[in-house]
Amino acid sequence: CSKSFITVDPKGTAVESNYYRNQTEAFNGLIAVYDVVGWQGSMYITKVGMADAASDDHYAGGGGATDVSGLQVMTNYTVDAAQGPSSELWQKGFAGVFRANLLLTKLPGATMDENLKKRYAAECKLLRAHFYFDLIRLFKNVPLITKPLANSETYSVVQAAPADVWAQIVKDLQDAIAESQLPDKVAGAELGRVTKGTAHALLGKVYLWQQKYTEAATELAEVNGADPGNVSAKYGYNLLKNFGDLWKSDNASKFNSESIFEISFTSLSGGTWNCVSCTEGNVLNIMVGPRGYKPTAGAPDYYSGWSFLPVTQDLYDLMHYDPRFKYTIADLDSLEKNGIARYDKGYMNTGYFLEKFAARSSNITKGGGNTELNFGQNMYEIRLADSYLMEAEALIKGGQGGDVGTRAYKLLNAVRGRVGLPAVAATFDVIMKERRMELAGEGQRWFDLVRTGLAPTVLGSRGFKANKNEILPIPLQELENTKLEQNKEYGGTK
Amino acid sequence: CLHISAKGLSQQITLTEKGAPLKKVLREVARQAGISVVYDETQLAATNPVTISVKNVSVQAALDKALEGQPLSYKVDGSRITLIKLPPPATISQDSSLTVSGRILDEKGDPIIGATIRINGTSTGTTTDAAGKFSIKVPGPKSQLAFSFIGYTQQVLQASANPMTVRLSLSATSLTETVVVGYGIQKKSVVTGSISSIKSAEFENQPVTRVEQVLQGRTSGVTVVAASGQPGSASAVRIRGNTSFNNNDPLWVVDGVVVDNGGISYLNQSDIESIEVLKDAASAAIYGTRAANGVILVTTKKGKAGKLSVSYNGYLGTSAPARKLKMLNAMEYATLRNEALVADGKAPLYADPKSLGQGTDWQAQIFNNSAARQNHEVSLSGGNDKSTFYTSFGFMKQEGIVASAISNYQRASFRTNSAHKIAKWLTFGENIGYSYEKTLSLGNTNSEFGGPLSSAINLDPITPVVETDPAKANASPYTNNGGLGIWRDANGNPYGISGVVGQEITNPLAYIKARLGNYNWAHNLVGNAYLEMEPIKGLKVRSSLGGKLAFYGSETFNPISYLNSSTTNPRTNFARDQNNSLAWNLENTISYSRIINSHDFTILVGQGAYMDGHTANTNVVYYDIPATNFKGASLNFNTAQANRLASGKDGQEHRVSSLFARLNYNYQEKYLFTAIVRRDGSSRFGPEFKYGTFPSVSGGWVPSKEYFWPENKVIDFLKIRGGYGTVGNDNITDNGFLSTIGDGRNYTLGSDGKIWVGNSPNAPANPGLHWEETRQSNIGFEMAFLQHFNFTFDWFNKKTVGILMNPRVPTYTGAFGNPPANVADNQNRGVDLELGYHGNVGKVKLNVNANASYVKNTVLYLGEGVNYITTSQQTFQSSTYPITRTILGQAFNAFYGFKTNGIFQTQADVDNYKDAKGNKIQPNAKPGDFRWVDTNGDGQITDADRQILGNPTPTWTYGLNISATYKNFDLALFAQGAGGNKIFQGLRRLDVLNANYQVKALGRWTGAGTSNDYPRLIDSDPNHNFSNPSDFYLEDGSYVRLKVLQLGYTLSNQIIKRIGAQRVRIYVTGENLFTFTKYTGFDPEIGGTISSIDRGIYPQARSYMVGLNVTF
Repeated sequence: CSKSFITVDPKGTAVESNYYRNQTEAFNGLIAVYDVVGWQGSMYITKVGMADAASDDHYAGGGGATDVSGLQVMTNYTVDAAQGPSSELWQKGFAGVFRANLLLTKLPGATMDENLKKRYAAECKLLRAHFYFDLIRLFKNVPLITKPLANSETYSVVQAAPADVWAQIVKDLQDAIAESQLPDKVAGAELGRVTKGTAHALLGKVYLWQQKYTEAATELAEVNGADPGNVSAKYGYNLLKNFGDLWKSDNASKFNSESIFEISFTSLSGGTWNCVSCTEGNVLNIMVGPRGYKPTAGAPDYYSGWSFLPVTQDLYDLMHYDPRFKYTIADLDSLEKNGIARYDKGYMNTGYFLEKFAARSSNITKGGGNTELNFGQNMYEIRLADSYLMEAEALIKGGQGGDVGTRAYKLLNAVRGRVGLPAVAATFDVIMKERRMELAGEGQRWFDLVRTGLAPTVLGSRGFKANKNEILPIPLQELENTKLEQNKEYGGTK
Repeated sequence: CLHISAKGLSQQITLTEKGAPLKKVLREVARQAGISVVYDETQLAATNPVTISVKNVSVQAALDKALEGQPLSYKVDGSRITLIKLPPPATISQDSSLTVSGRILDEKGDPIIGATIRINGTSTGTTTDAAGKFSIKVPGPKSQLAFSFIGYTQQVLQASANPMTVRLSLSATSLTETVVVGYGIQKKSVVTGSISSIKSAEFENQPVTRVEQVLQGRTSGVTVVAASGQPGSASAVRIRGNTSFNNNDPLWVVDGVVVDNGGISYLNQSDIESIEVLKDAASAAIYGTRAANGVILVTTKKGKAGKLSVSYNGYLGTSAPARKLKMLNAMEYATLRNEALVADGKAPLYADPKSLGQGTDWQAQIFNNSAARQNHEVSLSGGNDKSTFYTSFGFMKQEGIVASAISNYQRASFRTNSAHKIAKWLTFGENIGYSYEKTLSLGNTNSEFGGPLSSAINLDPITPVVETDPAKANASPYTNNGGLGIWRDANGNPYGISGVVGQEITNPLAYIKARLGNYNWAHNLVGNAYLEMEPIKGLKVRSSLGGKLAFYGSETFNPISYLNSSTTNPRTNFARDQNNSLAWNLENTISYSRIINSHDFTILVGQGAYMDGHTANTNVVYYDIPATNFKGASLNFNTAQANRLASGKDGQEHRVSSLFARLNYNYQEKYLFTAIVRRDGSSRFGPEFKYGTFPSVSGGWVPSKEYFWPENKVIDFLKIRGGYGTVGNDNITDNGFLSTIGDGRNYTLGSDGKIWVGNSPNAPANPGLHWEETRQSNIGFEMAFLQHFNFTFDWFNKKTVGILMNPRVPTYTGAFGNPPANVADNQNRGVDLELGYHGNVGKVKLNVNANASYVKNTVLYLGEGVNYITTSQQTFQSSTYPITRTILGQAFNAFYGFKTNGIFQTQADVDNYKDAKGNKIQPNAKPGDFRWVDTNGDGQITDADRQILGNPTPTWTYGLNISATYKNFDLALFAQGAGGNKIFQGLRRLDVLNANYQVKALGRWTGAGTSNDYPRLIDSDPNHNFSNPSDFYLEDGSYVRLKVLQLGYTLSNQIIKRIGAQRVRIYVTGENLFTFTKYTGFDPEIGGTISSIDRGIYPQARSYMVGLNVTF
């Protein structure tokens, strides 16, 4: 028989070596990079969930002490290389880096508009910076990979000096900013794609992490505009009038003027239990809902969830009389006491749930798939209130005052004023408290505590150990048969 | 010996010889007839030259003429002619003697011509005539007569004045026995490879649902482990151990057609004539491709020329579980739960455990003690000298012993084959088999994640089966969601929902109702057609085209359901899954056989082309259809477009192209030699590595045929053989050498929430991907001794190099999947032993076959500098670490974890547990916690202290098959067993703290001296007593099982003649009557990807059946 008989072309799939030939294929490759922004692993581990569970605002919760252990070990700080959120978040980051690297390598060979190529390349670099920013913050010692690895390099990769990774992140963002084809704003079908505004905001945040306050303030000011509280002319950002509108799931409420970098989901991808990680629905919605919810007429329309990330009494007390309370915390305790609804007490139950993301019956998918896996609320990686507060913090830390008339004061009080709170002078402590309340449940608090060095004090009672729990261990499996070394914080040599 | 494979006796012989040696004449007759003539060289020594002249006469007539006046007779057996030495003419005895007459028949009732009747202890005797009749004078009525015939077991009976009918049965020690080898048949005495053979007589009356179960315990070197006791479920078949790391299923070849792995469920065992297992490389190399895991050749029954034969075989029976787990009752459960809570400083949950009494026995709710099973099979066969046929119909229905309403199996099968002699030199034949299977299955059959078994084990005994208290039944949770989806019994009472045990653990009765009706179906059509030509003597050309067409799918309705707060289904959906698959193969072979001066050789060359993997799948799900149960569900309900989900898949064709050749040679059946070479090309490898060449050589020596072999009554036959060869394996995903682009990396963008399709590579390319090779040496001997015994011994060393697998690549590569690679080397070494006895003990005819196999598996290589791999490691829900690991120098996927060294009885024990430097090793432990072994001596317990704890794969397997016949009674006993493995008993959910316990938890540690092997109960489990994988979970997996005990009675001829039947037999059978094991779970036989992990295995049933065989 001839050799052609035993040469079978791959069925229904292209081959990497001859893909990315044209604009359609390049765009499909770009979408694959974006896909990682909304990555959800099969074990329900997301960056937001992990950071919430580890913070002083939430407990892991769920059904029991071992339910989604990757969250449990963050709540009680027993995380180690074998157990915890490391492997999911590590894999997510490097999946994004790889897809961006590959498309950057392939773009020059594609037959398509050159300007569009430049825009795609800028988006790839921006997203690669985003993935590396998470990786370096979470793992500190990571390999720096900027092009697809050759087969021979698979096992020979070593970790880079953190400074080199930081430098690459900054360079990627600066490259994106310098690219004229990366738009300032997007509209219509492009909503959700990153812009120059995204790049500046992310770069500002990166500088803030590096304690480069001047540079941070400059980048963030670019985004926040000349007149905080009013629309920034260049990028069109503006705080939403109604704080509650930020947490709606309908298409009209998504990609709003406050959104700088959004994590996108949909209720219509038909996700099923066959592949939890394949759904484009937001699994955090079902996770944080009250368990065994039994409403009476007139009760809020929560969809029975899995009671993860219950809100701590501490945050409840802090926010109880804040105007944002009712949009942030679902007070099931009160509903039950008043006979409006009952619910099953899950693990570490406090009676308070994360209102911002709790699944709602009104948001049940109108398409196919398992209901639980197809709630479609978007989340924010960076929104304008965050970048206002970051700039204010950078200014204060940079030595500028926060009294009436200062830009830090304006920024802080634009956020407060939006929900009807009186103006106060901006100090570091005030800003941190404002961030905690404004961004509660959005996965920012734990990173803020780590970034500002407050974590050992605030989280010590949880088991947080200084100079250890600021980062995660390199996932155990990743050390197997590779040249990677465990972080010394976790008994390693790096 | 002259041996030419079957042709026909109907050939017309034309022959003229003058004074030729008899041997020459016989060979010429054989050549023209295309049949085999079997004789012993010594028989021909005393023959006279032959002068013969015949034209167009029958074979018989030619032979009669040739043997005229010779001291020889012959017997026709199928297409084989055996020469028999005639005894000296009978001497006339005294007149006081008695004349005995009668007939000698074979097993099928056909007369045996030329059988010898001798007065026992004398040389006086006679032979039977063409009708099998004889007449002999004996000295008196006490005389003993010995009836014998070559190849048959001798019988000694007392002389009788009445006509005697003597039935002789084929002797299995017969050296004339043939076995099926790849692309042909060989006399067993000249085979040089290691082949085990099972004939239909050994299994045709056994209660077997699937064909592979026939092999369990009946042949050495083969390990068969059922994956589940669910009717119709497959078993894992391993020939000489785990050869590879991925797929270890042997290659199944049915009547020459390669059938995809595991796809043999369409076969009905009573249609099978014989099964041959090619164990070593020397015999399997002819199937080079995919032969690495051994080859199983199935030969189905064919029609025989002669009268029409119709037979019925069937049984009816009932099954029940053989064993229940001993679980805690409500009172004990509450006591232990309180204890585990209090230990954590929490309030006890149950105020008065004693008041709770026995509670619910959930196992009693799901087990069926009278599950019905039945099997019926009718076959017709017959033919004439031109055409023969065989047709059968079968029907089987079996209920499972667990939740029978959603666990049962039905199969209807039809099979037909025929062969036609178109011309003297041309034969055409075909085989077609069809089956329909309908399977209702539990869903999870060995899973800790729900299903009736797991739920029955884990659900608390306090929850009632049915909530009869109206106050509770009309409150939450039964009123949640307006009571929608709550399952109720016939009286309208809701099935109890546990308030403390949740997740996938649900009331099994509600679970059953929620999936009632859902089923899987399959239609299989397998067939082949062939043309066989013999244009000149000894030269045979054969062309065969075979194929398998399968249609299979499932119908699933999910009603609105509330099983507990986390197992709910708020919307109905109805899913239809449909698949079809096609595989075909084409083979052409040419063989040539000749004997030149006692040099007997056969050369075979062939070509093959194979295709499988041509599959298509479509799946459609409609949500929100207005049905409440399976019967009412239909796709006619046109729900909104957005609620109709469709998906599909296309398989990729896998093609193999092959060339092969074989030389068989022997000199006087004393010196034997076989060489095989096969070259295969596979579509699964890149352009550089498509082809693999797989050679083998083997040789044998039969010293018992040597002239110097002393005359003795001990060893009748001895053959020593050995071989070495290489076989290949391409069993890895298609396109593995390429980096393919995967989809589904989607993202939602834009004001309209559009989902955009994202594409990225799945895994890096591996252009160097190539054939996995298994090299095997085999040395053995076969011996027949003391006339009634035979013994086979084989030693083998099987080394697999370049094992194909998908090793875990570091995720920093960004790979979405793991690319396949040739990664590891693996070795299996062991011995196979078979011992048989066939003879009479007094008046009892006895057949005994015993076999045992030992195989030691060692991982030899895992990559440069790689000590272990985690690919295909097994996990157990929330245990701290995986429970198996593949480590260099150890067995594949061995149990891996912590070793315990008793329990700390006192705080002093904890404090005294120190390392060499005097530091406490477990400073935080409390009395009642496990003392973990600090394997690496670093003074602390870390993941580095884990070690190999045992092998999940049995190293010893054995079987014993005894059949005895006394007068009209027959008794069959079949026992099998395995050993050398450990079983991981993972029955209790770690993450469901309120799950029930087995009674052994009553022996937990409760204070100094109370227990040294079952730790204290504390929910937070700070010492990881339960969440660490450890030897605590491992138990000895050895067992011996009385698999089948059958007693039959054959009705005497006088009775059955009235109904015109030839044979009527009734029997009773018991299956799985006793299992001897130390294992405490349901069943020690636990298959799956990795054996011996018990997550709540569906146990094998114990059955009792009555059956009937009728032949007309």
